[in-house]
Amino acid sequence: MRFVLRRVGFFVLTLWVALTLNFLLPRMMPGNPALAIIGRFKGGISPQAVKVLQDQFGVGTRQNPVAQYLAYLRNVATFNFGPSLTTMPGEPVSQVVLHALPWTLGLVGVTTILAFALGTGIGIVGAWRRGGLLDSLMPPVFVILSVVPYFWLGLVLILIFGVKLHLLPYFFSYDYTLTPSLSPAFIGNVLEHAILPGFTLLITTIGTWILTMRNNMITTLAEDYVRMARAKGLPGHRVMLDYAARNAILPNLTGFAMSLGFVLGGAILIEEVFNYQGVGWLLLQAVNNEDYPLMQALFLLITVAVLVAILVADVATAMLDPRTRGAR
Amino acid sequence: MRRLLTFGVVIACSLLAAACGSSPGSGTSPGATGVLTIDNESGGTWTCDFNPFNLSDISFSLGNVYEPLAFVNTLQSGKASPWLATSWSWSGGNKTLTFTIRKGVKFTNGDPLTAADVVYTFGLLKRYHTLDVNSVWSVLSGVARKGADQVVMTFKTAAVPYFYYIADQIGIVDQAVWSKISNPVTYPDKNPVGTGAYTVSKCTPQNITYQANPHYWQPGLPKVRTVNYPAFLTNDTANTYLANGQAQWGSQFIPSISKFLAGQPAIKWWFPPVANVSIFINLKDPILDNVAVRQAMAYAINRQKASTIGEYGYEPASNQTGIVTPTFSGWLDASQAAAFGNDYAYNPAKAISILTKAGFKRGPNGIFQTPSGQPLSFTILNNGGFSDWVAAVSTIQQALRAVGIQITPQNVAYSTWQTDLYTGKFQLAYGSETGGPSPYYELRQLLYSANSAPIGTPAGSNWERFSSPAVDALINAYGATTSPLTQHQIVDQLELVMLKDVPVIPVTESVDWFQYDTSKFTGWPTPSDPYAQPAAYNYPDWGQLMLHLRPKR
Repeated sequence: MRFVLRRVGFFVLTLWVALTLNFLLPRMMPGNPALAIIGRFKGGISPQAVKVLQDQFGVGTRQNPVAQYLAYLRNVATFNFGPSLTTMPGEPVSQVVLHALPWTLGLVGVTTILAFALGTGIGIVGAWRRGGLLDSLMPPVFVILSVVPYFWLGLVLILIFGVKLHLLPYFFSYDYTLTPSLSPAFIGNVLEHAILPGFTLLITTIGTWILTMRNNMITTLAEDYVRMARAKGLPGHRVMLDYAARNAILPNLTGFAMSLGFVLGGAILIEEVFNYQGVGWLLLQAVNNEDYPLMQALFLLITVAVLVAILVADVATAMLDPRTRGAR
Repeated sequence: MRRLLTFGVVIACSLLAAACGSSPGSGTSPGATGVLTIDNESGGTWTCDFNPFNLSDISFSLGNVYEPLAFVNTLQSGKASPWLATSWSWSGGNKTLTFTIRKGVKFTNGDPLTAADVVYTFGLLKRYHTLDVNSVWSVLSGVARKGADQVVMTFKTAAVPYFYYIADQIGIVDQAVWSKISNPVTYPDKNPVGTGAYTVSKCTPQNITYQANPHYWQPGLPKVRTVNYPAFLTNDTANTYLANGQAQWGSQFIPSISKFLAGQPAIKWWFPPVANVSIFINLKDPILDNVAVRQAMAYAINRQKASTIGEYGYEPASNQTGIVTPTFSGWLDASQAAAFGNDYAYNPAKAISILTKAGFKRGPNGIFQTPSGQPLSFTILNNGGFSDWVAAVSTIQQALRAVGIQITPQNVAYSTWQTDLYTGKFQLAYGSETGGPSPYYELRQLLYSANSAPIGTPAGSNWERFSSPAVDALINAYGATTSPLTQHQIVDQLELVMLKDVPVIPVTESVDWFQYDTSKFTGWPTPSDPYAQPAAYNYPDWGQLMLHLRPKR
């Protein structure tokens, strides 16, 4: 219990520091959003418009920083960040984020879970049958794939399956002429559009899980209690799963919880390459366009997600592994 | 990689097939067929806002949904043709402008367009100055109805060039609709009611669908039934889409375009120049204030090389007069330019002799020095996000080094570049003005002292901080005349200022990016028929294209 409380206290402190940094950082950047929006017109509007845009965005009026900070904290509590300045001018930030969130959760979230499940499974079996066909094939292949830049792999897949073979759609998250609905046709279309980006993410992230799981397994398999279980004549799959894997998976679980937290950050390059409008792409746009409200909402979302994930991972590890509770 | 993309066999893509198969929206103009897809990377998803007075939305509604009073064609030296006004005339010492409003025009909700709607639209801009993005009320004093179908605009001073902003850049709205809106500044206008050839039939963050207006006032138009405008997040995505034949109207910068589009022989391209990309020289810098240094730089820069290496030759080399050719060739005073070393043709020897004559001496490292020993070594501010500009400046750096002037590029992020340029925190800067429908607009942006500001304060244009009462008087005189002869005489004198004083050095010409698929549509603008600026991001010009295009059978 004391352990959990200490973790929660640490969580609150980190959260406050992150929130404050989140407030300060955008304000230390040069330029202002009115100038940024002019850049999007490829020289189509006159510089005289800067003044007008500043008025529209209210960026000319300088508020006192303390009042800004207090207003900021109040808005954070209610997730009210006002309208987006430049990325989606005028739209409420919460709305913009909510539009992008399902796409990222669907694409990056599902592939993260899949990559973890598959990678861990392959790692377990590979280590159990060390030197077997699976073990000599899978880890090297996927470890090599995991160091391939995933946006490059994405481009190659677009070229092969999209441009040359015309098998799969490769841009947008759905056929843009369709109206979003919950009909099977639309859902099928969304899934079809998710295949290439999802597959790219999957095969480039799975290697890490395989490698760590396999290594943990091998160390665990040398433990006395595993030998003991074998000596007792337990069936192989019970020894593998209940005795070895159960202990070996602990470090991987922590990693998994943390990577779930990072899901909200999106996969910036994948979303760019596949013209997929998720959170990662939104974040990049917000930074490029100096869209402070949107930036802050996204950074906040990501920070909180990662902090919560770390907290959950800590607590989960403590519950699964009594040894960690006594530490410190 | 890019080249491989084009080897793909081109068949009708699934996306396009789906678009073709989709059922037509309720009520389209008879005879209108086909689906036109625009390919213009905007770097964002759509907000689905169409407020014609909001700079973020105007390029999605002015021209095709909302219409202005007249069309002013930049590519024909500002030739004006009727749109919602059938005619207009200047009177009273060019301080009164009278428009006759077209009869028989209806908004898409059935309301007829009247002179009262035009008066209301301009009144709206006066009441809400944030909607007046072209500052027309800085010169207007009143807008009133006269008779049944005329609108009379009175001006504080003669401001003939403002015709472009008043007649071409402002969409006319329905008084019955807009008078009920409590705050027009923040009004998103999700379902715009205009007089134009198209209505917004569907909008999602990924795509805008425009559908032909069945009751459009020009009978038989438009010919294209549906226009799709998908949201492209990156340049590469949009380029690939075009190369696969999935879009027909491109507005993209495509490196090595002839190789990239080799698989699509029906896609042609045309890049008409509209303004200059120039080196802005900070005239408040004590060394750069010396005209000899500026002239030497103008001779030393190989503009053709900057164009070929930096811009793949797509953006042609500029000339020192600031007149964009061939778009405005009729304005170029060639004999006057010839007197300045054949319009500052590339001539490093001349650059060196000018510097030597002005009392500069070579230092130990070959760089010229002032008599007091300061080297001719400057920084040049550049937008690091534009790889073409970075390449062009690097050729300029080599060319200047060859005559003993050292420049160091500072390739910074867009926002830093913009802020420093506007506030004058640079020695040299690479940048571009917006220009307008005649060379006067760019020359005014470059040279009018009222556009400038002290160092440290953002200037709207004239970033080099040029100031001359004689030039200001010339620019004001142009505003008071409608005589082409006088206008040409004034522009000739402004060209002379550019040649003599070299306040900026035009290097390449910025162009309209335009690719068009001739296999599916006809009626595209071409060099022989430049009826409008062709890139889809030009408003209201893109509305003109939509009226001219015809599906091919």
